[in-house]
Amino acid sequence: MKQREISRRSVLQGSLMASALAGTASYFGPWKENRVWAQGAAKPIKLGLTCDASGQYGNSGQDDLRGIQMAIDEANAKGGVLGRKITWITADTETTPATGSRLAERFITREDCTILIGAVHSGVANAITQVAAKNGVIYLNTNSSAPSEAGENCSRIKFVWDGNGTNFSKASVANAVNSIGKKWMLLTNDYVWGHTTSAATKAQVEGAGGKIVDNLLVPQNTRDFTAYLLKIQQAKPDVVATAVGGDDIKALREQVAQLKLDGKPAWINNQQDWPDVWGSPDSLFGVFGTTWYHKLALPGVADFVKKWQATNKEGSIPVPGNVSYNGYMATRELLRAIERAGSTNNVKIIKELENLKVSATDRMQHFDAYMDPVTHQMQQTIYLARRNPKPADKTDLYEIISWTEPKAVADTDAQAKCKLVPYEQVPTVDS
Amino acid sequence: MFDLLPHILNGLTLGLLFALIALGFMLIVGLMEQINLAHGSLFALGAYFAMQLMGPRPPLPADLAQSWLALPLGWRYAATLILAPAAVGLVGIAIEFCMRRTYGKDPLYGLLLTFGAAMVIEEMIRLTWGTRDYVVQVPQAVSGGFIFGDLIWSTYRFYAAGIAAAVIGLVWLLIEKTSFGATVKAGAHDSEIVRALGINLTRLRLLVFVFGTMLAAVAGIIVAPIWGIRPHMGVDAVIPAFLVIVLGGVGSFWGAVVAGLLVGLAVGLSGAYASEWSLLSMYVLLVAVVTFRARGLWGKKSVLEA
Repeated sequence: MKQREISRRSVLQGSLMASALAGTASYFGPWKENRVWAQGAAKPIKLGLTCDASGQYGNSGQDDLRGIQMAIDEANAKGGVLGRKITWITADTETTPATGSRLAERFITREDCTILIGAVHSGVANAITQVAAKNGVIYLNTNSSAPSEAGENCSRIKFVWDGNGTNFSKASVANAVNSIGKKWMLLTNDYVWGHTTSAATKAQVEGAGGKIVDNLLVPQNTRDFTAYLLKIQQAKPDVVATAVGGDDIKALREQVAQLKLDGKPAWINNQQDWPDVWGSPDSLFGVFGTTWYHKLALPGVADFVKKWQATNKEGSIPVPGNVSYNGYMATRELLRAIERAGSTNNVKIIKELENLKVSATDRMQHFDAYMDPVTHQMQQTIYLARRNPKPADKTDLYEIISWTEPKAVADTDAQAKCKLVPYEQVPTVDS
Repeated sequence: MFDLLPHILNGLTLGLLFALIALGFMLIVGLMEQINLAHGSLFALGAYFAMQLMGPRPPLPADLAQSWLALPLGWRYAATLILAPAAVGLVGIAIEFCMRRTYGKDPLYGLLLTFGAAMVIEEMIRLTWGTRDYVVQVPQAVSGGFIFGDLIWSTYRFYAAGIAAAVIGLVWLLIEKTSFGATVKAGAHDSEIVRALGINLTRLRLLVFVFGTMLAAVAGIIVAPIWGIRPHMGVDAVIPAFLVIVLGGVGSFWGAVVAGLLVGLAVGLSGAYASEWSLLSMYVLLVAVVTFRARGLWGKKSVLEA
């Protein structure tokens, strides 16, 4: 079902690119930059933003982009990084690994991007990683959260900024087995994030003395969940744990709410990305994980929300959610790392990011966060939430019910699976 | 066996929805021999127009909007089922006006034109409503669930299947039992003779195309509360529509209906018993049928079998 989408958008992008090449870009793009360099200004640092604009995670990809742009704008407003302006280019990865890979190749070899940022779908993130690693280009996986991204698919050039399926499972499962019941069913999106996240949940359930009675695989782009919901009703589990994302979880939520199955069984949705929640808040149910919420009662949150709103007046989502937050934090920390390294040499930046520690205040979370040097995944506070029964305004959809410190939910399995190549084997990149 | 029954029932209701989605597509292919690749986008447009009409801010002058919103939800929903397809019908007129130059020429021209129209409509949807998702309100009477055989079922799904069955029946009556239907079928069979008989074929083709377009919109409105509304939802409709008419046999009304039901059963049963196959099952079904019967279940004998 994706094929039509791909070709439609590819054709459109192709036409737009062709007209851009034939028209304004050739007059005002490179010439303008060359003129600036000729006047003695430093060459800009060019970032490739690999964000989805269509497909299953099109909405989230664009929300990611908003956060990334905000961090870039802030840096440029302060005069750039190392006295150099930050420029960027983006195109639609279509939530498709093949397109993500093609785009990464183009950004690196033809657009001279020396750093890539952005992904929501783990398959897309992994495809981009392969291209980036081959070229030694640093890649920030902002929002895809398959445990494999910092496990078997980790890379010296890649840094993962979202909490992963294991982190969220560790925060929620043991408590639910003890307080709700031992009979569990899994509902798993049939791709890398779904599989690895459900595997992590299964391990946690069994570790806590529970039992998985069935695992229903949900193909990507499933719109009708009735067969699954009937099967769940027939099996009568205590808890259903979902690892379903993007447009699929939106359709699932609508149908669960319509059948009023949102009370029994209990539902644990591994993670809810804000763009997936916004638009149909009435179907928000169960307990779910997140890394940030725009109404956390912490210093700096309200100011951040105001700044984000000032730069995103036209957006369809009125407040920053976890996706935009991760995009912002990843980009901000990258630019700071370049400043600290005093260089755009890739290995120097990588070493800075590997030693990254961010205070709770600076992250606007409850606990200090740190980059795991073994897996390159940001270890941060994991929040559990449920629908807010008494919202303060129409954006106040979550009730945060717990926050867990990074060490308590650390993905120790990923550390055993991740094998980073030595620095000497990373091709040198310097912009 | 008792466990199986709910899934058969679910598959049949889903099948009626697939048949409804395919119906307008089938009419245009069968009666005009034009493949309308914009069918999915028109399906989406129907859902968006309905959402806009039903939503808190309908696109009407203030006084009229107030009176409209004062109507009970059920009445507004019923009116929307007519108004939104009518609005989409206007878009259909515009497409047909562009398309008429391609009649009688290489079918590729028509394909490219409707493909372009699909792209334009989808981008217009993004520009107008953005990339976010929307929900269509449905009347209280048909929302929620009911208990049947120890299981909770979606009331709206059965209501939607009922509407689909009713629309399918009405279209059948129109095509098979009216002089309009007879003329349309004759026009598809031999346009030269029909023209020679003094029938305005240009107007006839316009009517068929717009009718097919409006059926796409009706399907969009009916299915939207189940699938949700988002800009690329048309893709979710056009592929099953294409699959259903190929499976049923191009041009066959009952072929499309039976194929829709078979696809629904395949998706419903595989969803329950081999869930990873649930989307793939419709393609497997198609391959299984066309391998042995290239014309589809009720299609006319094609050159592939000569």
